[in-house]
Amino acid sequence: MHWPLPSGSVLTVPRSFQARGAVVVAAATLFTATLWGAQDKAGAPTPAPKDNKPAEYVGSDVCQGCHEDIFTAFQKNPHHEVETNKKYKYDGKACESCHGPGSKHAESADAADIRNPAKLKPSDADRDCLVCHLNKPTQVGRINGSHAKNEVACVACHSVHKNGPNGLVARKTAEVNQLCAGCHSDVWASFQQPYRHRLPEGAMSCVDCHNPHGSFLAHNLQTMDANEPGCFKCHGDLAGPFAFEHAPVKLDGCMACHMPHGSANVKMLTRNQVRFVCLECHSNLPTPTAASSPTIGSIPPAFHNLFAPQFQNCTVCHQKVHGSYVDRGLLR
Amino acid sequence: MKILIALLALAPAFAQTLVDQAKPADSTTDAAQAPAAGDNPVPVAEPWITGSIDFGYRFRTNLNGSSAAYQSIVDLSAGPRLLGVDFTIVDPKHRLFDSLSVRGSNWGGDPYNTAHVDAKKKGIYDFRFNYSNILYYNALPSYANPFAPGGFNQQWFDQYRKNISADLTLRPNKRIVPYFSFSRNAGSGTGISNYAQDATDTFPVATRLVDSTNNYRAGVRFEFNRLHITLEQGGTTFEDNDSAYDATPNTGDSTGAILGQTLVLNNLVQAYRIRAHSVYSKGLLSASPFSWLNVFGQFLYSEPKTDINYQDAATGNFVLLNSLLFYNGQTDLATGSAVGPHVSGTAGVEVRPFRRLRITGTWSTDGFHELAYSSLAAAFLAQPSSASVNTTTVLSPLLWVNDSRGEAMLFWDPLKMLTLRGGYRYEWGNATVPASEQSQTGLVESGKLSRQVALAGVNFHPAPKFYANVDYEGATTARAYFTTSLYNYTRLRARARYQVAPALSLQANFAVLDNQDPITGSQYDFLSRDNSLSVNWTPKGGKVFGLLAEYDRATISSSIDYILPQFLSPDVSTYHANAHIATSAVQVNIPPVKGVAAKLTLGGSLAIVNGTEASRYYEPLARLSIPAGKHVYWNTEWRWYGYSDQLFLYQGFQTHLFQTGLKLSR
Repeated sequence: MHWPLPSGSVLTVPRSFQARGAVVVAAATLFTATLWGAQDKAGAPTPAPKDNKPAEYVGSDVCQGCHEDIFTAFQKNPHHEVETNKKYKYDGKACESCHGPGSKHAESADAADIRNPAKLKPSDADRDCLVCHLNKPTQVGRINGSHAKNEVACVACHSVHKNGPNGLVARKTAEVNQLCAGCHSDVWASFQQPYRHRLPEGAMSCVDCHNPHGSFLAHNLQTMDANEPGCFKCHGDLAGPFAFEHAPVKLDGCMACHMPHGSANVKMLTRNQVRFVCLECHSNLPTPTAASSPTIGSIPPAFHNLFAPQFQNCTVCHQKVHGSYVDRGLLR
Repeated sequence: MKILIALLALAPAFAQTLVDQAKPADSTTDAAQAPAAGDNPVPVAEPWITGSIDFGYRFRTNLNGSSAAYQSIVDLSAGPRLLGVDFTIVDPKHRLFDSLSVRGSNWGGDPYNTAHVDAKKKGIYDFRFNYSNILYYNALPSYANPFAPGGFNQQWFDQYRKNISADLTLRPNKRIVPYFSFSRNAGSGTGISNYAQDATDTFPVATRLVDSTNNYRAGVRFEFNRLHITLEQGGTTFEDNDSAYDATPNTGDSTGAILGQTLVLNNLVQAYRIRAHSVYSKGLLSASPFSWLNVFGQFLYSEPKTDINYQDAATGNFVLLNSLLFYNGQTDLATGSAVGPHVSGTAGVEVRPFRRLRITGTWSTDGFHELAYSSLAAAFLAQPSSASVNTTTVLSPLLWVNDSRGEAMLFWDPLKMLTLRGGYRYEWGNATVPASEQSQTGLVESGKLSRQVALAGVNFHPAPKFYANVDYEGATTARAYFTTSLYNYTRLRARARYQVAPALSLQANFAVLDNQDPITGSQYDFLSRDNSLSVNWTPKGGKVFGLLAEYDRATISSSIDYILPQFLSPDVSTYHANAHIATSAVQVNIPPVKGVAAKLTLGGSLAIVNGTEASRYYEPLARLSIPAGKHVYWNTEWRWYGYSDQLFLYQGFQTHLFQTGLKLSR
């Protein structure tokens, strides 16, 4: 492909770029064209009324006429708060707070005349929920969370109409784990290995360690106290501060050495024997010069005879490997 | 805890009293209440308590193989068990509570048991209590020195960790919401730790582990339609009173005499007395000033401080190799303190300038600046007292870390069924950490972090029956803290779900992480793949049978250069794991016999891992559930646990567990 330049010369586009260029131009055109949608102020727009007269709010009592079962169950639903609490500005109109004004639907009884969040794009459906739920402490880390990025809809985990006093989401540990494993089946497989956190036994649940709404830490990790990883909620004795810290614990976190979901290795270590975990950093390799890429931890090198059984498990002596209050060598 | 359990046990009786008291009032005011029925159409006949209780007895056959490994991995024993209890009490008069829910599991001797209590009264309070008690048991010889003399199993421990938390929220769903919380994490148990003596010998000694962390916090949430602010103040206290002792001659794991002398530990007393406390402040913000703009932020500050007191006294025959000093006693006295202010802040914004376009941006910073002081006075007592040595070491180690990251992401919906996203993240930081005794570069060593990450993703949702998404990260790293940190890496995750038919759904996951470090000389090369396929098939609504099955294949391949210490020759450490993991559950509804329709569940899991650490772990199960009444099920379960380790053959075990009991529900 050749493009004439004003100077009279010709700009030759390499062949390898021509196909990519076409894709880029097409994408840019599509991108520009699609941008000019109307600003969506409250999720997806309500279906346009057939007679062009805007639909109006009719109140939940009108909905009850046809949807008695849902209406009745809704009385004990936590969302019933919307029906009675003026804070939400939908008192008496809780159904329409999510489904939009229902006068047209009430007249026609046509499903096309009412907004059904279940059939909306997940991000649009979420916007309905977030009208009330965005400004809550649980959502503060939302935009960093992988669920929001991957458009996992709120209703993928939460039931909106469910009856009962226990909220709209699984509470029992086994049910929580089952819910998460429904999508994260590869992660659940890790828990079938012998060395694992006790999730299959029902002693823990996924949300003990992860915040499904998002977190400012990687992997949606729960935080505790002042943004410490949630691991210390149970392993409080490893939190420090120690007089002699083991740097990876603070800098790269527990997963520098452990596979927290489960492993074939003792202690859920990343390698099958302790010395190989340690030698990954304490490798005796010459420390790179500061100009190239200095790394921490190659000092001290391991200088013991690793063929001797007594030295093959470094933590037999260096038992305070998470940090020591007393000893620089993490011996006690 | 016993008092709490007693209270929980009495709760239904108490609620029954409430209901009983309410009955006369109901009967006398039926007419008056009638108009209000439309306001609260809760069925009158609704039970005041619903729930279930599941109890039984577990039998275990003789254990074949290593009981130490069984206890470390499974540790279920025989005896009567309260397997699960779950009930909810609703008070129709809304006196002390609207509803009270209690859940518990695995009581009566199992190595992990839990309890949860939720109580709430609309607009007044919301209370949650959680309790868990989880056994951390490890006695695997492979984790210690398998040839340690005297049968000592170094690194053995048997410790319970108990977590308690109580959260009280007042005025839930109001605009101003105060809350109070308390949590406690405590560990207690026994074990074997090691008294390491100058790299020449290590003496396994009995140890007692005692630590606890208490956390107190209170705050207030301001929840408005377009703004939320949480302000919280909290505090933490920590105690560690670990101790170790030995009163019998102990030759340790040294394999031979040194200069004709045998090293021995005759007596040891070792005690830690660690106290720490911290106060912290937290502020959270989320706001929606405009319909197209959301803002998030948080700020946290804590200043934990640790006070250290440690002492030990040992007698025996020891040696300091570097001075060839044999001595008969050693005492150490250490004092110190460590303080680690931790500041963390994050700001984020989500902008929706157009209907099909969203832009998010976040910036976060995290810094902890620890300063410590440590003084260790040691006295080595030799036979001729003139040879005794006293030393004092004073150190001021520090750890100084500043990490930051900024990320921008653009979400674009070219089609209703399709969302594309792309973004960029930059991570940077610097760290100064204490160097070890062997360091040639001074008391500290430093590292830096500089990483650029490209982000991309696709969410494809063409129909309610099909969903797929792809997540991609690709990074180049100029500097990282450790040789095994993420350097030049590619991380890809794809997930798809397809509802083939109303009764059949498939899901597939694929994940890969390829990380290479050609920079620091270690030639670290890490590649992991994880593929899984799951099937959920419930023909005819599961009336006849249902199948849930999953197969997962995970591989890890890792290699890194190192220098063999004793020969100073280069070598490569490799690790491979090739895992086949499967889980399944087939539930069969057995045709009724004399009106009794039983359910049979067959399934379980297996994990077959080949590679550097080849092992097999099987957990098959069969469960028969027979209705024995309107609200009673007789449940019988068989499980088999089998574990084999091809490297450490002596750690294998097999055993059968039988469990039978009743489940009462209402």
